Amino acid sequence: MEGTLARRIRAGLPGYLLVAPAVAVTVVFFVVPMVVSGYWSLTQYNGIKPPTFVGLDNYIALLTDPRFLRIVQNTVFFVVMGMAIGPLLGLGSAVLLNESVRLRALFRTAFFLPTMVSLVAVATVWKMLYQDQGLINDLLGVFGLPGHAWLNDPTTALPAVVVTSIWQGFGFETVVFLAALQAIPRETYDAAKVDGAGAWAQFRHVTLPGLRATILFIYIIGIIGSFQAFDQIFVMTQGRPGISTRTVVYELVDEFQRLDLGSASAIAYLLLIVLAVLSFLQLRFFGERD
Amino acid sequence: MILRMRPVAVLIATAIVLAGCSGSVSPAPSGAASAVPSAAASAVPSVEGSAVPAESTVPTASLDTTPVTLTVWDYYGKEVTPFTPDAIAAFQNEYPWITVDRQDLDWESYLQKFNVAVSSGQGPDVATLDMTWIPTLASNDVLLDLKALSGGMLNGAPITDQYSKGPIEAMTYGDGYVTMMNDFDAYALYYRADLFEQKGIPVPKTWDELRAAAKKLAEDSNGDGKPDKYLYAVRPNTFHFSQFLFQNGGQLLNPEGTKATFNSDAGVGALDYQVGLIQDGSGLYWSDADGDLPPALVDGRVAMFSDGPYYMGLLKSGVPDQSGKWKIAIAPYSKQPGSYLGGTGLSIPAGSAHQQAAWLFIQYFLRPEQQIRVYTVTGAAPATTAALESPELTQPDPYFGGEAPFTVFLDTMATATHFPYVAAWSQVDTIISENLDAALLGKTDSRAALDEAAVAADAELAK
Amino acid sequence: MRASVPRRVGLYAVLIVAALVMIVPFYWTLSTSFKLPGDVFSGKLIPDPFTLENYQDVFRRLPFATYFLNSVIVSGSIVGLNVVFGTAAAYAFAKLRFPGRDLLFFVFLLTLMVPFQVNLIPLYRIMVELHKAIPAIGVDTYFGLIAPGAVQVFGIFLMRQFLRSIPDEILESARMDGASEWRILRSIVFPLAAPGMATLAIFTFIGAWNDFLWPLIVTNSDEMRTLPVGLALLARRNTVVWGQTMAGTVVAVAPMVVIFLVLQRRFIEGLTAGSVKGGG
Repeated sequence: MEGTLARRIRAGLPGYLLVAPAVAVTVVFFVVPMVVSGYWSLTQYNGIKPPTFVGLDNYIALLTDPRFLRIVQNTVFFVVMGMAIGPLLGLGSAVLLNESVRLRALFRTAFFLPTMVSLVAVATVWKMLYQDQGLINDLLGVFGLPGHAWLNDPTTALPAVVVTSIWQGFGFETVVFLAALQAIPRETYDAAKVDGAGAWAQFRHVTLPGLRATILFIYIIGIIGSFQAFDQIFVMTQGRPGISTRTVVYELVDEFQRLDLGSASAIAYLLLIVLAVLSFLQLRFFGERD
Repeated sequence: MILRMRPVAVLIATAIVLAGCSGSVSPAPSGAASAVPSAAASAVPSVEGSAVPAESTVPTASLDTTPVTLTVWDYYGKEVTPFTPDAIAAFQNEYPWITVDRQDLDWESYLQKFNVAVSSGQGPDVATLDMTWIPTLASNDVLLDLKALSGGMLNGAPITDQYSKGPIEAMTYGDGYVTMMNDFDAYALYYRADLFEQKGIPVPKTWDELRAAAKKLAEDSNGDGKPDKYLYAVRPNTFHFSQFLFQNGGQLLNPEGTKATFNSDAGVGALDYQVGLIQDGSGLYWSDADGDLPPALVDGRVAMFSDGPYYMGLLKSGVPDQSGKWKIAIAPYSKQPGSYLGGTGLSIPAGSAHQQAAWLFIQYFLRPEQQIRVYTVTGAAPATTAALESPELTQPDPYFGGEAPFTVFLDTMATATHFPYVAAWSQVDTIISENLDAALLGKTDSRAALDEAAVAADAELAK
Repeated sequence: MRASVPRRVGLYAVLIVAALVMIVPFYWTLSTSFKLPGDVFSGKLIPDPFTLENYQDVFRRLPFATYFLNSVIVSGSIVGLNVVFGTAAAYAFAKLRFPGRDLLFFVFLLTLMVPFQVNLIPLYRIMVELHKAIPAIGVDTYFGLIAPGAVQVFGIFLMRQFLRSIPDEILESARMDGASEWRILRSIVFPLAAPGMATLAIFTFIGAWNDFLWPLIVTNSDEMRTLPVGLALLARRNTVVWGQTMAGTVVAVAPMVVIFLVLQRRFIEGLTAGSVKGGG
């Protein structure tokens, strides 16, 4: 790096000016609240009386609480199921749509539609579908299968909510994968065919490598999003039955409601640490050498 | 290097300032609370001993009439609030120097916003508060002592004459009243009287009778061997569990509020009773996330349930076809009548700059004719005795078989108990509710479920 | 090179079934919104009797025009600000050098990982204090609704990705001709990045239009509320009137669906142009 710092700063002035509005908004409305929460996470604070400093007590209490660990387990299940199935469905449907199909635009619209709608609206509709007298049990009845209290059974409640989330989310993955698929040059496939590669080999050696950066992007965004699952839980089950559908962010919001601001902030920071580590690892091992 | 440090330093400084702001206002509210009552007491003339009719307005001669704008926070919901534009206009007519700014807030985010506003000195002058929030707010010195402010008088008569024992206890914190109850919630038994008559079931007065009645009422309409019609709704939350607990002679916490006692034999018996109803096949597990009952009442899945006065309005709007088929009775009990007591109170934040005007507002809306509107407009049960005994509320209600439901609710309120006034109550409430599911869904037995809840609750209470 | 007939039939079959799965819940929402309360769970595909009372209730009970207008103003402002200032920032991160650039980017990245809910109370407090100092801004104002979303980090990432693929030579030659960075941004970058900016506009609009939690918290009065908040307040505590809730959902969702159907080609183009394949 040549030049003194002062000179580099002067040279970089246009850069600073262009990022200034973004920095102003991000700092005032995101970084400052984050720092405030970080401070609160080290205190016992009910939002009314001044906070009392307690150091790492909130963090230790959370990490040694079996109830909280169960909540973490629910969240991990959510993330793993969502990220195992969602991108697969997204890639699968993108591959299907990539074929020259009539009315491709219409199908694309159908797949992406759920993503356009707010998650609260989607969760409300699915909650209605899952009711004892709802559409899902009706359809099962048509095939002679018994209905079920999907959202009231601790064993099926969480999977039911995960299904709703996947339904809503995988359209985004479909569109992103489709765009990426179309960016892979025809010539690479032709060359592989000339070498005698069959459909599956083509997929493994041409398609997947071509999608690598996209897959990474999808997983980073997707993992961050799934770990923060809240809206669906709030609308559909409120964390019940028992705590079988309670996720980390739902617990965070609940603790705010119960005026335990210190512990709620600590949950947020634990989440931040986990996500930062996961993103870093993903970038490190699957990212491109830039 | 210097340039790079600066933004960070500013950041940290701002954060500290803001964090400090959250706490630094405390001297003002609690200081105000002690400083104002004496000033207010002298401003509001003492009417004890003077022959002033109960409903008259306070003589305006000794009131401070500088124009004020009163901010009122209201979570009732614009459509059903008793604080209608007409009523507010009438209030402003009577007290021309007061302008009311009513703000319509949603219940979910209300407590959070209230706390932030109050601790920044930007709180309202009058606020509707859920009775379950009162303990936390009161113990944090957020609410003005209304007994001191008013000298114990409401609209010219002692407060103690205008509310029954349950509400008075619920409004009391320390030596004073931190809120004036506007509407109350306590549970009675709603039942399909037409089906009872058809099947020759007597109205149950004890737990055993209720269980037998539920069995006779339930029907299996699709022939799969399991009853699925005309069931009793079993709700897995602390409101409903505590009803059975109290009826069985139990208590939620010990008198000092330091240990859970809901896992006593009385508590286990209460939960066993609810589980029994489900196991008999005559109880339907209805979670909070399932929302309100009307859809299940319309198709007949549920024909009996326990709930509070506001359900009368829900039935009338949600199940109009069943008018005349429902009746309400005192909830059956094993040892003594019992229910939780909740509702809405009207409070004045300690930091309000317009306490006198705020008190005038509260008094106005606690007059009998306004309290009656709590029922007619809002569909809730007014908390003052005068309103509950008024002709409007004691007349026969065609929806409920020509009977007068409020006589039942008045009796219920007399034996209703508010939740314990401890700081950790919301945590304990959540813990109890979550652990009920395990027993009600048959995953574990009642004692194990309640013991586990008690352990967690004790941990919270110890903090 | 056409695939065999059975293969194509299979392909269409799968696509149609999948599309139905995606669409059925929407159809159900629409159909329920026209049903009477007693019919909501009756299992009928077509509402019979068909009723408009749910919609009448929604429009009658809500100051709909106010909510709609507020939603338009707030969403439109957020989109405009993000497209201009987000792209500007993305350009700086993608193509300009300045000390602290990567550290700043890292901090931006971190803000994505914190759940928004945890910022709510500190942010609300900031708004209350701002309002106390300057009544025109803060709680219950357009400023309060728009400012936190005025420049979004996700958008900056998206645009950074698009802009990296602009060849440096074009920019260099413009600089050598004496153009300022702002000029370059306006005359070269914006036109080249148009599909990306269209994508950004659509994503940002969807997010801003549907945003519910922050507008709920930061508004106290009806005059400032947006559509999702107004619709949510239709359902009182614990009360779900399914027909009305579905009518409210349709009303909130319809603009999104229409906009998407009209613009979807440009949108997909936007995602395709810009190398999604590019570096991480």
